[in-house]
Order: sequence, then structure tokens, then C-alpha cells
Amino acid sequence: MAEERPSLKWETKKGILKKNPIFVILLGLCPFLAISKSVEDAIGMTLAFGFVLVGTCLVTSLVRRWVPRDIRIPIFVVIIASFVTITELIVKAYSPSLREHLGIFLPLITVNCIVLGRVEAFSSKRSVLESLADAVGMTAGFGLAIISISFIRELLGTGGIKLFGHSFVVLSQPATGFVLSPGGFLVMGAMLALLKKLGVI
Amino acid sequence: MRNFSVTIVTDNSTHKFKRLIGKMGTAKPIVALTLTCITWGLILAYVHQITEPKIKEAERKEKEATIEEIFPGCTFEEENGIFYCFQDNRLIGRAVEVETKGYGGSMKVLVGINLDNTVRGVRVLSHNETRGIGSRATEPSYLSQFENLRLEQLAFKPQGKVEAITGATISSRAILEAVKEALEHG
Repeated sequence: MAEERPSLKWETKKGILKKNPIFVILLGLCPFLAISKSVEDAIGMTLAFGFVLVGTCLVTSLVRRWVPRDIRIPIFVVIIASFVTITELIVKAYSPSLREHLGIFLPLITVNCIVLGRVEAFSSKRSVLESLADAVGMTAGFGLAIISISFIRELLGTGGIKLFGHSFVVLSQPATGFVLSPGGFLVMGAMLALLKKLGVI
Repeated sequence: MRNFSVTIVTDNSTHKFKRLIGKMGTAKPIVALTLTCITWGLILAYVHQITEPKIKEAERKEKEATIEEIFPGCTFEEENGIFYCFQDNRLIGRAVEVETKGYGGSMKVLVGINLDNTVRGVRVLSHNETRGIGSRATEPSYLSQFENLRLEQLAFKPQGKVEAITGATISSRAILEAVKEALEHG
């Protein structure tokens, strides 16, 4: 059995394109669209999300044999919520401005369906190494998606990119609509269509 | 379970143990969930203990930066939660933090007051108002209307001089009450 399983490398790589949590599995779109307004926030969100996902997948994979089937979801949610709280405390302590930017969407990582989805579908059934590979890949895929979308939205919506105190202005007349919700849906739809057409996903 | 009963022939003690676990069948979920919660509760308590001073420090810094915004270039001394601001060793005003209840829960408002008891400036330190609706009442563009108002002018129009935001009356009122309280008691 073990030999038939896909390699660790594939488990990592699949999250980036083939099973991208945003572009292919299409999970957790609400916080995704809300945060993908600026590249800087997107990077912060990716870090927070990655910490929670990797931590949760690691722990659920470690304890998977002792979790009774009937109450696995409550146990997973307790673990996810704990990791989110830890993340929130750390962000509050070391980067209050990031906390301000991510706002309510930081604690809401708890109910992000990507996290519970990966735990339920993958890490609660697989070995620690495989789960780790999967979580890292999914984080990379999430990061790729949110950073690319936010890059387009910020560029078109505000006319430039602001990154760690440096700003690059490209357009003199930005279309503000792109940083608002309708713009998010438009960019997301266009991106999906393009990726499908190119056969990337 | 069937597989297992074949193997126990050689190992009696494991058998007893597994039967005990089997009897605990219904208790197992309860024990598992309780243990999970206790473990993570302890971990969270530990993380909280480490980060708390840093969070307090960050909040204090933010508050001082906000006071600096209201009273540019002043030095301040804290006494009973009130910040007295001095410029060239002369008292020019004070800043008071008021906690009030908005639409989405508690709200911390910092009010800068001139020596003649008029409002110098208002800033919201933290709030949980609805984004895009109540949060408009926490923005500087709304709060600037309080500047230079006296206590008796602090009421909504037409009685007073304060304009409320349509659709965000509760949030607007919370700010107004906070400023009033600061002038009355601070």
C-alpha cells in the first residue's frame, strides 16, 4: 500500500497548482476576497494562515489515532481555534499594525474552510510527514493565489503598490472599484478563466 | 475486535486493558474532548502569559502616539489615568481615555481637552463597530467636528453642534457620550 502512495514531493507540489485551495478547490473565498486588497496585507495573511495550517495539520496528524471518530470535528476545531488564538496573541504583541489591517479576518481563520478541509480530508488520515508536506504546499498555493490577486487589485485600484514603506506608483488614474468587493469578484473570475484557458489548473 | 481475540491468547494483560477500554466506550469521546480542551487551555494560558506584557506595551505606545497626535510636541505625565500635557513646562491640556459601549461592544475613546474645557481632539483607540457602517463614526473625518466644542454644545443637531451619521446612530451616540463623559469627569 505504502508504495502506491504519491511521493512527498507531489503532496507538497499539488497544493500550488493542481489542487490550489483557492483556484481549484475554491474554499475560503470570503476572507480571501476581503484581504486581497493590498499585497502587504496578503503577505501578512499568508504568514498567519500558514502558521495555523501547518500547526494544525501537524498536531491532528500526531493525535489522529487517539481521536474518536464521532467527535473528531469538535476536537479539530478546538485545535484550530487554539492555533488561531496563539497567532492572534503573537501578532498583537509583535505587529499591532498587521492586527489592525487583518482585523476580524485574523480570528476568522478559525472557521476558514481550507483549514478544516485539509484536516478532515488529509492530515487526520495521513502520516506526520505527508501532512506537513500537504500543509506547506497548501500554504504556498494560498499565498500564490492571494498575492497575485491582491497585486492586480492594488495596482488597478490604487494605481500603485505599497510594500514595507516603499510605494511604486504606476497609474495616474486608478479605478477604485478594483479594491472594492465587485472588483474582487471580477479579478477572481478573470483569473480563474485565464488559468483554465491556459490549462494551468 | 475479532482479530484481537486471537492474539490475546498469548498476552493476557493487554486483553484486560483493552476490555477495560471497551467498557469505557461511551466515556471515550468525553474523555478525549475534555483532555483536548484542558491541554490547549494550558498552552494558551502559557502563550498569553508570555505575550501579555508585550501587548500591553504595544497598546501603551499606541496611546502615547495618539496623545502626541492630539497635542503635537508635548511631554506628558500620567496621574490616575489622566495624561497631563505640558509644553515648555506649561500645562496646555489633558487627555482622558473613556470606555464606552458602541453597537458592536466596548469602544475606547481618547479625548484631548484644552485648558478652557473645550475639546482639543478625539481619537478612537479601539472599537468593534461594523466595518463600513458604524466604523465611519470612528474615522478622523467624523471626529474632527468635535474640535473646539464646549460641553453644552455636545448634543446632536439641532440642540447641539454634533452631526450624527445616518445608519450609524448608535455608534455616533457612543462617541458623543464618551466625549461628554470625558469633559464632565475627566
